[in-house]
Amino acid sequence: MKLSFVPVYITLHVVGLVNALWPIPRNLETGTSLLKLSSSFDIQFEAGSSLSPPQDLLDAISRTKHRLWSDKLGRLVVGRGEDDREGLESAASLSLLTLALDSHSQSTTTTNDDGSSTSHSLLPISVEAVKDIGTRSEEYSLKVPADGSPAVIKANSSLGLLRGLTTFEQLWYWLPARDAGNADEGDARGAVYAYQAPVVIERDYPAFPYRGFMLDTARNFFPVEDIKRVLDTMSLVKMSVFHWHVVDSQSFPLTIPGFEELAQKGAYSSKEIYSSSDVQSIVEYAAERGIDVLMEIDIPGHTAVIANAYPEHIACPGATPWSQYANEPPAGQLRLASSATTNFTVSMLSSIAQTLPSTMFGTGGDEINTKCYQKDPNTQEDLKRFGATLEKALDSFTQSTHGALRQLGKKVVVWQEMALDHRVSLANDTIVTVWVSSKHAVKVAKKGFRVVHAPSDYFYLDCGGGGWIGNSAGMNSWCDPFKSWQKAYTFDPLARLSSAEASLVLGGQQLLWAEQASPENLDPIVWPRAAVSAEIFWTGSRHPSGQFRTVAEALHRLHDVRFRMVQRGVRAIPLQPQWCALRPGQCDSGGLPSMVWGFVLQKLAKVIEWYKFIVSLLTTKYSEHIGFNEP
Amino acid sequence: MKLSFTSIYTTLHAVGLVNALWPVPRNLETGTSLLKLSPSFDIQFEAGSGWSPPQDLLNAISRTKNRIWNDKLGRLVVGRGEDDREGLESASSLSLLTLELDSHSHSKSTNDDDSVGSSTSHALLPISVEAVKDIGTRSEEYSLKVPANGGPAVIRANSSLGLLRGLTTFEQLWYWLPGDVDEGDAGGIVYAHQVPVTIEKDYPAFPYRGFMLDTARNFFPVDDIKRVLDTMSLVKMSVFHWHVVDSQSFPLTIPGFEELARKGAYSRKEIYSSADVQGIVKYAAERGIDVLVEIDTPGHTAIIAKAYPEHIACPDAMPWSQYAHEPPAGQLRLASSATTNFTVSMLSSIAQTLPSTMFGTGGDEINENCYQKDPSTQEDLKRSGATLEKALDSFTQTTHGALRQLGKKVVVWQEMALNHRVSLANDTIIMVWKSSEHATEVAKKGFRIIHAPSDYFYLDCGGGEWFGNYPGTNSWCDPFKSWQKAYAFDPLASLSSAEASLVLGGQQLLWTEQASPENLDPIIWPRAAVSSEVFWTGPHHPSGQFRTVAEALHRLHDVRFRMVQRGVRAIPLQPQWCALRPGQCDSGGLPSTAWGFALKKLTKVIKRYKRIALSLTNNYLERIGYNEL
Repeated sequence: MKLSFVPVYITLHVVGLVNALWPIPRNLETGTSLLKLSSSFDIQFEAGSSLSPPQDLLDAISRTKHRLWSDKLGRLVVGRGEDDREGLESAASLSLLTLALDSHSQSTTTTNDDGSSTSHSLLPISVEAVKDIGTRSEEYSLKVPADGSPAVIKANSSLGLLRGLTTFEQLWYWLPARDAGNADEGDARGAVYAYQAPVVIERDYPAFPYRGFMLDTARNFFPVEDIKRVLDTMSLVKMSVFHWHVVDSQSFPLTIPGFEELAQKGAYSSKEIYSSSDVQSIVEYAAERGIDVLMEIDIPGHTAVIANAYPEHIACPGATPWSQYANEPPAGQLRLASSATTNFTVSMLSSIAQTLPSTMFGTGGDEINTKCYQKDPNTQEDLKRFGATLEKALDSFTQSTHGALRQLGKKVVVWQEMALDHRVSLANDTIVTVWVSSKHAVKVAKKGFRVVHAPSDYFYLDCGGGGWIGNSAGMNSWCDPFKSWQKAYTFDPLARLSSAEASLVLGGQQLLWAEQASPENLDPIVWPRAAVSAEIFWTGSRHPSGQFRTVAEALHRLHDVRFRMVQRGVRAIPLQPQWCALRPGQCDSGGLPSMVWGFVLQKLAKVIEWYKFIVSLLTTKYSEHIGFNEP
Repeated sequence: MKLSFTSIYTTLHAVGLVNALWPVPRNLETGTSLLKLSPSFDIQFEAGSGWSPPQDLLNAISRTKNRIWNDKLGRLVVGRGEDDREGLESASSLSLLTLELDSHSHSKSTNDDDSVGSSTSHALLPISVEAVKDIGTRSEEYSLKVPANGGPAVIRANSSLGLLRGLTTFEQLWYWLPGDVDEGDAGGIVYAHQVPVTIEKDYPAFPYRGFMLDTARNFFPVDDIKRVLDTMSLVKMSVFHWHVVDSQSFPLTIPGFEELARKGAYSRKEIYSSADVQGIVKYAAERGIDVLVEIDTPGHTAIIAKAYPEHIACPDAMPWSQYAHEPPAGQLRLASSATTNFTVSMLSSIAQTLPSTMFGTGGDEINENCYQKDPSTQEDLKRSGATLEKALDSFTQTTHGALRQLGKKVVVWQEMALNHRVSLANDTIIMVWKSSEHATEVAKKGFRIIHAPSDYFYLDCGGGEWFGNYPGTNSWCDPFKSWQKAYAFDPLASLSSAEASLVLGGQQLLWTEQASPENLDPIIWPRAAVSSEVFWTGPHHPSGQFRTVAEALHRLHDVRFRMVQRGVRAIPLQPQWCALRPGQCDSGGLPSTAWGFALKKLTKVIKRYKRIALSLTNNYLERIGYNEL
């Protein structure tokens, strides 16, 4: 009659023993020893190396040293590490982390004035981070011995050293002094320690170079400080690209040299503008943290607000009902058939692009509304004059704008419609961001373009917050449901791709469209979810154990990095009750197989799609009935 | 060939012109004049009144004076009020707000010792006393007049609590226009834009306008709770339902039962001391909010096993899904007289420190399997020859009886009224949570109702399932309950008028499996303000029309922006472009009826599939032997 509750516990506990690194390295061996951080701990370059480190690497080292002491993250186990106290008394102490460079490192040689001795100066992180995507060296190796002898990070670039430092930071936990009377005293006498020494990571490097996050700063504005906090958190999980969807139809917060009116008349207010120095400081801050800033000026759609400064370049500005002329209000698109507008666009894009170090620049190209142009007398006249179709005009417009950017050395990044829905010739090196559905990646690859995965069905962070259109009582968001971290984690970057096509995949990103986001909910809506793609695209499909990555294994590590984010002042949401966070596996669903649910859900999804279809039919019928199609 | 874009604009703009008050008063007349706040603005009691105001009312007055200057909220129009600048130069200034009391106000007369017989001074009862009176007996009514000519504004009420509600409305009238570029804040103007304002007898449609916070799944420091209380007060909410402990942690210090928190809290820093509890209760009451503490029994108590293992059946039993709705499993041994006594003492010990006349004992999600597999409970049942339901009845009568002796009305979740054969006192208050459809059943049994339906009011829904190994599953109560969904809730749906009188009000709720201080503000606000309007204003807008989402949106934007100005991280409802242009982000007139129809059909299909999913799951469980451990 006695219950046996034990067997399930044991199996699940083992899962919790993996090291809590995010993204998990591709190679990882860990031990079970405790290792204290010595109060004299220092980070130094290999003895006898003649390399003169760049300032941004020195800054990165200082940040790491600071964080090791200030993170103060208690282990996510019952007692928060209290059980380690006894063992720590006899544990070895680490006093030194050595940074070593491979002999064939990327550096420049400078000859001294006297001509005799030469010193090698390592290229700055900020230079390495903005090299052509796919040519950056992020690889590092890390060894932390258990006996207190020096730890070593070895890499062949400053960027690789940064990635190694980032991993190193995640090894350390905090145990306050026992019975610390007051918090301050406790903090002063606490121990910083690792609990899985020795740690050996042999050649960790990303599976994909593009590990991004996209932020829309046009639907609602985000101050520079918020963006920098995002960049810091991206760097914590080794993300490499900040895709900045900086302007859109609703507001134009970007100062463009020579086109200052755009922001003066298009920003929400004079306080909600990124000045040129703001932009430079964001780009620099990012690059020093290993992040390339991909700025996007979406054209020719999503440009209504340009009409505030340059009404002559915008078709159907503020047209209503907006749903006829745009995917969301307000309507308005660049007059792509006008040569004046094309010239304007080329100058504007060039003016901002040439201030940016990245070799990528985004020109959008999504959701172009045909009806807006059909109803715009100017555009119709232009088309008539040239005898061109709208598609032909779009092709010329695209070639002119892309051509100008390519002359500046930029690879152009566009949304999928440009490759799949329009008859536009794109250069072979154009990068296509797939967003409508994960299924479309194959089509893009078959056309030979490089792919960035940004599928709304896995990676859109804004889904599931309810519809935001004013009078839609009780409607769900268009891309419902919420894309949970688990959903995102199951994304397969190479699904249905041949191995030739697979080589076209640069990586991917989660995205925050900001219709229902602002500085107030930025952190919780982004973190820790956006870290999921960082692991997918760094680690690849397999856990270092050789098994495929699973949600069940990842959960505890994601908890860990989430708690670390909170310690660093990032308001990341909890994934579970703290009770679960401290007890890996015990809040799994009692073994209820996901297969059963998976089957049911698949069926359900089909029915829903079928109903969606009926709804859209009904809606169209109704619109026709009440005459919405003929304004 | 020319487009006419104007027609729809015009109609919609009219909607945006309503005053931005939340909850909108039941009576409201506004003008179109501008009125500045004078730098010498003051709030005073009616001249010659013999009232001596309580300290918490004086404090509320200071807060109002402070906020009027500090809110610095620009009007939500294009230009953020820049167009008002010229008009403000010639606008009148308001220098005085007078607070008046009706003659039959709630107060106590105190005769001075050396009274000559004729001179008595009346001491108005404190807000904190009025706010914790029996639910349904509180006086929150007030009238407010703000003349356009700069003559004194007046708030009239018959209690300090009514005056507080009036002050709260008054605060929402004011906007900020910064000075010219060089002057900045120093040259700024605080002003109203819709004077005169006349509100004749505004009072709530329902007395219970609540918000529930679960502080057990994840912990929330006292400061976070106080910020919630401040924001609740801003929208005239009246009850903070504090689901303080649960199976995962026990952060509450109970006098005489300190071990519960010492061993059951997540850490010693994650505990509410007795002083914390009193601090929260007092802070709330001074802001017109009654604190309803709930200690959920007999389920949701696993954590008690840490300090008192002898009182808990099936502690941490696995697989937990057989023994509880979520991990960890564990319930009070309700058939044991020792456990019953323990529970009575524990509940009484905390309840008697609380001024509220309500106390929550939970009673939801009792798991039979847990008791069936608990040898000790089975023995107790055998010995007394009782069924589990009978034992639950005794347990309930004993615990409820003890609380009633302390003057408390007991609040329980719906299962106690609908799913168990338990005798409940007539004055028991029932929280309907499983579905809005269950309110009728509860009313038919004659119990008073608090609406807390998961299908409208659960703020945690839609964040994805939180169990560890469910890739891509939605939350159990998907989808997300948007503010629009909540706003469409009808408190009196399918109730007779006799049954309608049993409705005390309702609340939105935050279960915190996926919430912590980090996302507290954005997950709650401004959504939780929706029920405050549903239950204050009632079904009709002061225009006489039914309230609609389309009309409410701009006002909700307004109060959301005000929250942000007060340091509350409330989420934006739309792009700022839309917030400044009422109606222009509506769906181009696409009728909600067509969508409504389609959605209803869809919901039915989903429900059918849920049933199929459930039976499939059960079949599977039987097949793999989960039911026979």
